Amino acid sequence: MRRNLLNVFTFFLMFILIFALGACSKKPVPAQPGFGGDGSASFGGSGTPGGPGGMDDARWRELGINSEAEKREFLERAKAFENQDIYYDYDGYTLSDPAKRVLDEKIAFLKRYAKVRVTVEGHCDERGTTEYNLALGERRANSCLQYIKNSGLQTEKLTSISYGKERPIATGHDEASWAKNRRAHFVLNY
Amino acid sequence: MIRLRKGFCRMFSGKNSVAAVVLAVLCLCMATTGAFAQTFNIDITKPSFQRIPIAIPDFKYMAPEGTQLARDMGNTLSSDLDFSGIFRPLDPKGFLENPQAIGLNAPEIKFPDWKRLGADFLVRGSYQVNGSQLRMEGRLFDVVGGRMVKGKVYEGDVRNWRSMVHDFADEILLALTGERGVFDTKIAYVQSTGSAKEIFYCDFDGNNPVQVTRDNNLALSPAWSSDQGQLAFVSYRDGAPKVYALNMRSGAQSLICGYPGMNISPAWRPGRNELAVTLNKDGNPDIFLISSTGQILQKLVHGWSINVSPGWSPDGRKLAYVSNESGNPQIYVLDVGSGQKKRLTFSGKYNTAPCWSPKGDWIAYSGTAGGTHNVFIIRPDGSDNRQITNGEGSNESPAWSPDGRMLAFSSTRQGGPAIWIMLTNGTGARKLTRQGGSQELPDWSPRMNR
Repeated sequence: MRRNLLNVFTFFLMFILIFALGACSKKPVPAQPGFGGDGSASFGGSGTPGGPGGMDDARWRELGINSEAEKREFLERAKAFENQDIYYDYDGYTLSDPAKRVLDEKIAFLKRYAKVRVTVEGHCDERGTTEYNLALGERRANSCLQYIKNSGLQTEKLTSISYGKERPIATGHDEASWAKNRRAHFVLNY
Repeated sequence: MIRLRKGFCRMFSGKNSVAAVVLAVLCLCMATTGAFAQTFNIDITKPSFQRIPIAIPDFKYMAPEGTQLARDMGNTLSSDLDFSGIFRPLDPKGFLENPQAIGLNAPEIKFPDWKRLGADFLVRGSYQVNGSQLRMEGRLFDVVGGRMVKGKVYEGDVRNWRSMVHDFADEILLALTGERGVFDTKIAYVQSTGSAKEIFYCDFDGNNPVQVTRDNNLALSPAWSSDQGQLAFVSYRDGAPKVYALNMRSGAQSLICGYPGMNISPAWRPGRNELAVTLNKDGNPDIFLISSTGQILQKLVHGWSINVSPGWSPDGRKLAYVSNESGNPQIYVLDVGSGQKKRLTFSGKYNTAPCWSPKGDWIAYSGTAGGTHNVFIIRPDGSDNRQITNGEGSNESPAWSPDGRMLAFSSTRQGGPAIWIMLTNGTGARKLTRQGGSQELPDWSPRMNR
């Protein structure tokens, strides 16, 4: 009897293991947030997994959105939230006054929709060297997280990632392009 | 010697699926190496250094075989010695005799003729093929002294002729400079195609590129362990940048460290199974000493500034790294034992990517000069700062060859970034990578264990 139970248990374990392995192998490669840079990659796509298209009413309610009107408002504000970047000086990661104003808008959004998950990406222009720029991008993303934290908001749902100079939004080799690339970019993960 | 050779072959067979071949060294004649090195006293770091003229005729075939291999062997040896920056192989067109008629022994060789052609040294190679078996012999002659300096015989699969020639090139360098060449080394780098960056490595001369990562994502900062057994790198394959390693023998890749946030800029500590990495798990990009399984052993550099790009001294006691604690990125040196930090670079506002020379006498780095990055070298005490590249695109990420004679670096001097190598006096630059896309962040492997 005891032996039988053990066998059943073993079988059960194997079943779980096989299921878990299957789930792992089928897991899609996570889309890199912010590749497009304008937010379109992670927003507004029809049926994008994890994006608004793939969300059910329960998840909308979880985000505090209970009507079509609220949903429309959310989508409108989410677009601005993702599209407005925080810009920095060359080799800098301190927040300018305009940068703080943009962040204040993001804070208002995060207060209204406290359940959204957000990735803050740090980016750099092409002029620096690779590894230093990775660290610089990290400092840029971190400057935003610190500012949001200082506003009294909980930041557990915010994560940061640095892409250094590896994912430029503008590919020119002039100050206009560089200025666009020295940025922190917010991506909603819903 | 034989045992180590087997290890060497295993390494090649693992990746290149060439049948393992015993590259047996049958004899080592004429080992007057030490005395010879003193006689010639070749020091290529001197500004007055002139490349040594050497004649390398086609190898002589001992049994009737195609002449192509005879030519290929001669050309490969010639290319190796040219690559070393120490020799200037003479154009075989000027040679007076049919290479198949030139003798193999000192009494048969017309040294005065070779002297008139301007050769200081002559290499006579010979070979015979028996089925799949190759027997190759290389001999180095001192033209001025009219005597043999070095001879070595190789036997193995004919498909391995290239490694035999590379090894003999190594022996020639050892005989004349007291130090082996770098002909069994590899250079790892980052290959960009579209928005993807993958890790590759190739032979010292750019041949045989091997792809390490296939994530169609970002992979950066390849770093060899000091026994060439492991290649660490950073990959975003799991979303965030984490440090992984390729085991060169098994071909397996494993995670070394994936702490929350950023895990970047790995550097193996020489002679130990430990790495320095930059992690921001405590809120700031700090440099940590970790084990090869990612266990944190020590926080090496921390503060409120960026601390990144560690590069070990060859004895593993000191660490050069980049910090912006002065307001912009500069190179610092940490004494790991005492914890003392010292700023190394003071000129220029952007000095990064330090790499300590294998003999410990220089630190190479990228600094801005003339609006672009250029390669500099500086003494570890901060003296003798020298700019090595100038006015030819952006030149970044210098990495020393294991003999300290050359630097690999990425350069945009001929369009997109590619890996180049040059002598440490800045001469002899040549493009190493010939792939499409761009190549950057080279790391030169140590020699294989012998």
